[in-house]
Amino acid sequence: MPEIAAPAIIKPRRPHIIARMFRALRLPMNDPFAVAGLLIYLVFIVVAVFADQIATHDPTEILYTPAYDLAADLRPGQDGFIMGTTSLGRDIFSQLVYGSRSALLIGITAAFMVALIGSIIGLVAGYFGRWVDAILMRLADIAFGIPFLPFVIVLAAFLRPSIWNVVIAMALVLWRDTARVIRSQVLTLRTRGYVEAARVAGSSDFKIILRHIAPNILPLSFLYGSIAIGWAILTEASISFLGFGDPNSISWGYMLQDAFASQALAKQAFYWFVPPGICIILVVSAGFFITRGYENILFPKLSR
Amino acid sequence: MSEPLLSVRDLRVSYQVGRNFVHAVDGASFDIPRGSITGLVGESGCGKTTVARALTRVIAENAAITGGQILFDGKDLAKIPEKEMNALRWRDIAFIPQSAMNSLDPVYTVEYQLDEVLRRRGGLGRKQSRARSEELFEMVGIDVNRLNDYPHQFSGGMRQRVAIALALALDPKLIIADEPVTALDVIVQRQILDQLKELQTRLGVSVILVTHDISVVAYICDRTVVMYAGKVAESGTMQAALTAPSHPYTMGLRNAFPDLQGAASGILTPIEGAPPNLASPPAGCRFKPRCPFALDICGTEPPVIDVAPDHPVLCHRANESAALRIEAAKTETWMAPA
Amino acid sequence: MKNFKAVGSRLLQLALVLWAVVTILFLMFRLMPGNPMAAYIDPTFTLEQQQQLMAQFGLDKPLWHQYLIYLGNLLQGELGQSFRYREPVGQRIWILLPNTLILTFSSLIVAYVFGILAGAYLAWRRGSWVEQAAIPLVLTTRAMPEFWLGMVMLAIFSFSLGWLPAGGTRAPGNEYSGFLDLYTSRDFLAHLALPAATLAIYSQGLPLLLMRSNMLDVMKEDFVTMARIKGLSNWTVVVRHAARNALLPVMTSFAIAVGYQLQGNVVVESVFSWPGLGRELVNAVAASDYPLAQGAFLMIALVVIFMNLAADLLYAFLDPRISHA
Repeated sequence: MPEIAAPAIIKPRRPHIIARMFRALRLPMNDPFAVAGLLIYLVFIVVAVFADQIATHDPTEILYTPAYDLAADLRPGQDGFIMGTTSLGRDIFSQLVYGSRSALLIGITAAFMVALIGSIIGLVAGYFGRWVDAILMRLADIAFGIPFLPFVIVLAAFLRPSIWNVVIAMALVLWRDTARVIRSQVLTLRTRGYVEAARVAGSSDFKIILRHIAPNILPLSFLYGSIAIGWAILTEASISFLGFGDPNSISWGYMLQDAFASQALAKQAFYWFVPPGICIILVVSAGFFITRGYENILFPKLSR
Repeated sequence: MSEPLLSVRDLRVSYQVGRNFVHAVDGASFDIPRGSITGLVGESGCGKTTVARALTRVIAENAAITGGQILFDGKDLAKIPEKEMNALRWRDIAFIPQSAMNSLDPVYTVEYQLDEVLRRRGGLGRKQSRARSEELFEMVGIDVNRLNDYPHQFSGGMRQRVAIALALALDPKLIIADEPVTALDVIVQRQILDQLKELQTRLGVSVILVTHDISVVAYICDRTVVMYAGKVAESGTMQAALTAPSHPYTMGLRNAFPDLQGAASGILTPIEGAPPNLASPPAGCRFKPRCPFALDICGTEPPVIDVAPDHPVLCHRANESAALRIEAAKTETWMAPA
Repeated sequence: MKNFKAVGSRLLQLALVLWAVVTILFLMFRLMPGNPMAAYIDPTFTLEQQQQLMAQFGLDKPLWHQYLIYLGNLLQGELGQSFRYREPVGQRIWILLPNTLILTFSSLIVAYVFGILAGAYLAWRRGSWVEQAAIPLVLTTRAMPEFWLGMVMLAIFSFSLGWLPAGGTRAPGNEYSGFLDLYTSRDFLAHLALPAATLAIYSQGLPLLLMRSNMLDVMKEDFVTMARIKGLSNWTVVVRHAARNALLPVMTSFAIAVGYQLQGNVVVESVFSWPGLGRELVNAVAASDYPLAQGAFLMIALVVIFMNLAADLLYAFLDPRISHA
């Protein structure tokens, strides 16, 4: 039977661009997992910001017991060390607190770079098409052929070991996933009525991308960005664990490496190597939970 | 008239949507005589597909048969245990879906899908199954060599023939065809309908043809059941529905569709408005908001009036239908909504 | 014809990626600060060895010439001499590769068998408390650092309970006459158990989540509804139709997972002192044994690239819509 024909082009009133960008993020506030994820982020951000106040000791300082012995391998609670000490007499709790700083620093900068580079490449490839697209997508193919972790290890070892080199190495490879998804999204957006209309009306490419396409891919960029946070933290942990990390910063990966190298496993020092692992899991899975909330919004057919 | 093959009595099917219940089928009654093609017509959302699926008892997860009877061969399909129902499926009641593309499994050959039904449901052996598959393909006019092809290798019309072959596989008593030709172009539509009619006559099977297109019904059906907003508005023989439509909705539908035979029957006049939201249907006659002949009395529940033997109509003014038909034939009647 | 063209362009893409990765590798190892290749000419080598190496890698020649020599060497399968082992890199890699592949495939097969079954089960039980509890749990396993999981496993099963050995592929003193003899021995399997379990626990999440979401999608397809209307048994509907269709992309992901796993092996092999490619890569980088690092990197890259290709081919092979176009 006759259905009510929709008008060919619906042009809704467009609110201010910043308001639109923010709304376009579509934070999944009604998904309990996503909210839990955001809360975990919030807790770790607070800990990272106030690390100086929360930590009980300097994480790199070699500590002594009141009896002037080296405070090595103390169990949690012993001599007032909340979570015990390392074999070299450092406070595990304080290391854990400061570890949140490098984790968040790495996670957020790497995610930002991955999402930014990936989105821009995907946007440009999808919007301009033709040879631009061909070249950029072949570059993505190449990036897919590079073994990620070995690449980061080699770069981190050759360049001076530092957090930033790890971030750069990750960004150099991981943009590929974001770029591919954003590109295909742009390809479908490009055929939408209002984009066609703007083009016919003579808007510049830059204006069309900024006003009509960018707001629509923002949630996807954000989604891939939050996946990258987890990847970055896990990668940094692996790199530090293998001994190619930044020697000047305390990270959870560094703590695990220290524990592993100091025979913590044989000593059954669970209090030493379990907490950093749990912290990594919490932060990374927080990203996954937020991501899942997004998937329900972006790909409704997956949700029940 | 002999005992009907299927007799639906006051059938009710509801969907749960959030905390609300939508009564998609709200007390539908009709009979399907043996060896007939019955058209089940109505606009989308009128509950016709829900009725069709309720007959197989494979309905959406959030749906349930909440009342009424489905008397088939002496059994009430609404009540029998699932095991008994499952034994009946496809052997007695087969189904031709709207889109054969999506309803054939893409990863198996057509022969596999015929064989699956013939052997698992029909109890045939490997050789018998192959022979029967070939026979079925010949019946629907497809080259036997194509049995080993995958669904995507067939054209739309061919896939629909495959679907018919599948439906006929176990010699069912009843075939429910849900919009079987809607996705096809007009020429192929006619070929498929001709085929269906020919096979139905030859095999003596009963067919329920669910469609929104009254011209399809007019083209091959013996009988028609017109549904509106979850209720049966009018049912009877095709002859009666074409020459003496007695519910204003049926009269409106006739104006809204071209003739499948291509005869230009004047201007097409759509019925203004849209069917009601079944989550909160209007009181009384559900067609009242769109009916050009509505009176104050139509705000109360309409009675079922037999305007002729075997021709029940759900309308307060059914007895005035002869006069209303003259009005309904005029385009301007439908232009100004009541 | 269309198929030929598709295969042709895919092979062209493969060649491009291979060339690009090889070139990136060259640049990485030659242009890094401090010219790592210079460190290769070790003072402990004899003068004769030094000259031989200079000639082999053409370190006195301009960069483009070095590049050509490097490509030429690669084409002949010549990966150079390991600095630490004083033996050809190719030979070293050849010894390590089977260990890595056995670890990768045994863990992935376990992960996929479990993941596919559990994913199908969770899709079938969607909305139940089992599913509600399982999904966050699975996401958590994806969030674990693999090496940390390995450490916990070691601490519990090896150091605390003493059930399984702590590292390597065989107990000290045990000698085996050949490949098969070693790889089928109880000793080897006991050593394999913990690293393989670690990788399997980490890897099962991918097939599980993929299978589940595919199943949920496929269950809504018309052909599944039709299978029910046909009166087919629940098993036939769920397994032969829903699961069979949902399985396609999961099988494809296996090939890609092999590539990913090989990269993840780098850390897990280090935790369990498993003599494989990944651990060798780490050790070689740490010890500035660049030819060996380069060789191991190249080998891992080759497997990744060919597994990406295998994924495409597998999909085309398994899906009649592509293979019977």
